[in-house]
Amino acid sequence: MTKSKISRRTFVEGGVGLTVANFLPGTTPLAFAASMEESTIAAAKTAGAADVTGMIWSPYLVPMQPVIADFKKATGIGIGGVQDISIFDAPQRAMAEALSRSPQFDFIHIDSNMIPSLASAGYLEPLDEYMKKANFKIEAVADYANFMTYKGQTYGIPTDGNVHIQYVRKDLIENSDNKKRFADKHGKELKFPETWEDEFRIQQALMDPAKDLYGSGSLRNRANGPTWWYMMFYSAGGFTFDDDMNATLNTPAGQYALEIYLQEKKVAHPESAGWGTPQMIPRIAQGHVVTCQYWDGTAKLNENPAKSKTTGNWLYGLVPGSDFSGKRIHRSISSPLAAILINKYSPRKAQAAYLALWLGSGKNSIPIVSDPVNTFNDAWAKEHMKSEAVQKAYSPAGIKAIEANFQVVAPPTYLTGFLEFQDTLGKNLSEAYVGQLPAKDVLKKTDEEWNAIVGRIGRTKLKADLASYKAVMPKRNVPV
Amino acid sequence: MSVAVVAAADDVQPRLSMREVSRRRAIKRFKWSILSPLIALMGFVLLPVLFLQLYFSLHQWTVYLGSWWDADWVGLDLFKEVLTDPRFGWAAVRSLMFATGSTIGCFLMGFALAYLMYKPFRGQALYYIIFILPMLTVPVVVAYTAEMMLYQSGPINDAITRIIGIEFKPAWLTNPHIALPTVMLLEIWNWTPFSFIIMLAGLSSIPKEPIEAAEILGASKWRIFWEVQIPLLRPVIFLALILRFLEAMAEFPKTWALLQGGPGTATETLPVYIFITTWQYFQISKGAAMSYIVMVMMVVIVLIAIRILRQEKQTLDTVYGNKAAGNSGSGS
Repeated sequence: MTKSKISRRTFVEGGVGLTVANFLPGTTPLAFAASMEESTIAAAKTAGAADVTGMIWSPYLVPMQPVIADFKKATGIGIGGVQDISIFDAPQRAMAEALSRSPQFDFIHIDSNMIPSLASAGYLEPLDEYMKKANFKIEAVADYANFMTYKGQTYGIPTDGNVHIQYVRKDLIENSDNKKRFADKHGKELKFPETWEDEFRIQQALMDPAKDLYGSGSLRNRANGPTWWYMMFYSAGGFTFDDDMNATLNTPAGQYALEIYLQEKKVAHPESAGWGTPQMIPRIAQGHVVTCQYWDGTAKLNENPAKSKTTGNWLYGLVPGSDFSGKRIHRSISSPLAAILINKYSPRKAQAAYLALWLGSGKNSIPIVSDPVNTFNDAWAKEHMKSEAVQKAYSPAGIKAIEANFQVVAPPTYLTGFLEFQDTLGKNLSEAYVGQLPAKDVLKKTDEEWNAIVGRIGRTKLKADLASYKAVMPKRNVPV
Repeated sequence: MSVAVVAAADDVQPRLSMREVSRRRAIKRFKWSILSPLIALMGFVLLPVLFLQLYFSLHQWTVYLGSWWDADWVGLDLFKEVLTDPRFGWAAVRSLMFATGSTIGCFLMGFALAYLMYKPFRGQALYYIIFILPMLTVPVVVAYTAEMMLYQSGPINDAITRIIGIEFKPAWLTNPHIALPTVMLLEIWNWTPFSFIIMLAGLSSIPKEPIEAAEILGASKWRIFWEVQIPLLRPVIFLALILRFLEAMAEFPKTWALLQGGPGTATETLPVYIFITTWQYFQISKGAAMSYIVMVMMVVIVLIAIRILRQEKQTLDTVYGNKAAGNSGSGS
């Protein structure tokens, strides 16, 4: 052991020096580093107390209320009044607000895929300045924070990840009789599906309509159908537009995706053409479905014995991928991804922005995403993945699946005019699914209609949007 | 004597005329006092909206690019676009089918119920309340309730299967061939009370004399119904049909809440398509042009209806005027 030669004078000088350095601008003393939550409170206090108003669906708001109450106590900023509007109806209402440049709502809670449309209509306040003042970062899993940006600016704070994960009935897939039957028929082991083709084989093999058990629980109605089609299309290596904003759905990748999409009619409930979430979620939780891709919140429901007959009977994992492009690609989807956006015309936009940051910190949002009753807000932050409460709500396997799917998650058309592109595709897919439109015409017709939309909104404008859309696309084909 | 009477009558005539003139003036004043607020409402509220609609329908405005007052003038291009849009054409066909079917259904059911109810009986008030209850139910609630009842394995199919003893499992809401008739049935259930109330009022206001006269002459009940009551009710029947038809053409809440125009485009009626165009596609200009075309369509229907109603009233006035004259003539 050596004895260090530090004199008393040197020691005292060093101490004084460190103390002075502590207060020099630009030096952030580690011992006093404020947490993101503390700095959000400090920044919010400069904006002054206020009760902000917003448009939000109550199932999303309820679990946020205790967290908002804490913020109110610390800053005087709370929620005054809200208009309870379903997230599915909110886009139309928000666009009406944008058209009239109304200051009525300080914030709106809405599908983040509306960011390009609302920003283009001049309604949204960029949040980067507020984030800088509050030393705030969206600490989302993988590149998920990109979903909140448009043309290099941040416009939203996520509250709900809403990524699709794969659901497979464990009791059915691990059943030895089923395994033998499947192996005899297909010469393959019955296991968690890796591709769309694998999944279809499993669905066909294990469904039993006589027992009200159908192969698929994925949605095929007009409003939701495109969400599923995109997963298939992107995983086949397809992309919606070329660099000149010509629609490119009618391609081999598009046709492949359409075939996969439509073949599911053979294994889906006969009424699937009209079913949305209110019909399908209970069927999943009550055990009438073999496999499906679904929003991750349903795992929370499945694992809640008070609400589910299938607790412990599910395997969760990565959504199926495809080898169609010559390499294996998996693409999950997040739509609608609920986020808080701030109205540029609001007189209380600073207060609303800081409230959004408060709700969007990883730590603060843990009780929001792990609420076992109000299951609408789903995990999205890195901190959620490690949290015991969140793991308990989704099960460890559920959380692992969420983390994996976030690495390959893509948006639908992340462009100005999102609703128009979405509904046109939904209408044509739905017509094909119910037999009103021949399958061979679906993509040709959609391409034509999409090109007309591009013409209406403006090719130059949309070409400028395309960079934001591509930036949101995942960089990995398979999660690590 | 007779000369004196004539002279006296001549004296009275101008005084009566003055009274008549003053009465007519009072009626005119009363009419204007009633009409002027409506005209003011039209002038200050409706006309600006109509002009704004007209402006949008003649200008191409994209919500994402600039303010609406900078929109490009396109003349009648949008009207041409709408009129050559097959989706609009099909939506119009669906709306007309829906309105016609549901109007006839509502009328037949409403008339049948009114016929059962127009003669007083014990407990009539209770039935009256039961019959008008569907009309008091909010259409969106009707839609959601129906959705739960009409699943393939839902209570309606189950009940019918039990009654007929054969498995009955139509997919009411997801089969594109029957989705629109299903919404039509819901519309009939929801709005039959409207026709019921109008027809009940009509039946109650029929004078008893012609019916009693027909009974004395030995006419059967069917003949009385067909040859006395129906002709007397014709103006009321037309009114009930027209009002219901116009209302049905504008039906939106049930269709939207249940199916949003699906499956496919099976229930995409005019109001649904206009909503989608305006608030989903944000093609405000095209939506305005569509609204104008539909408005013109409805105005034509209303004008025809008013003409028919006037003719019906004139026919009845002529028949009863003549009959009254004939009766008084024969009586003198």
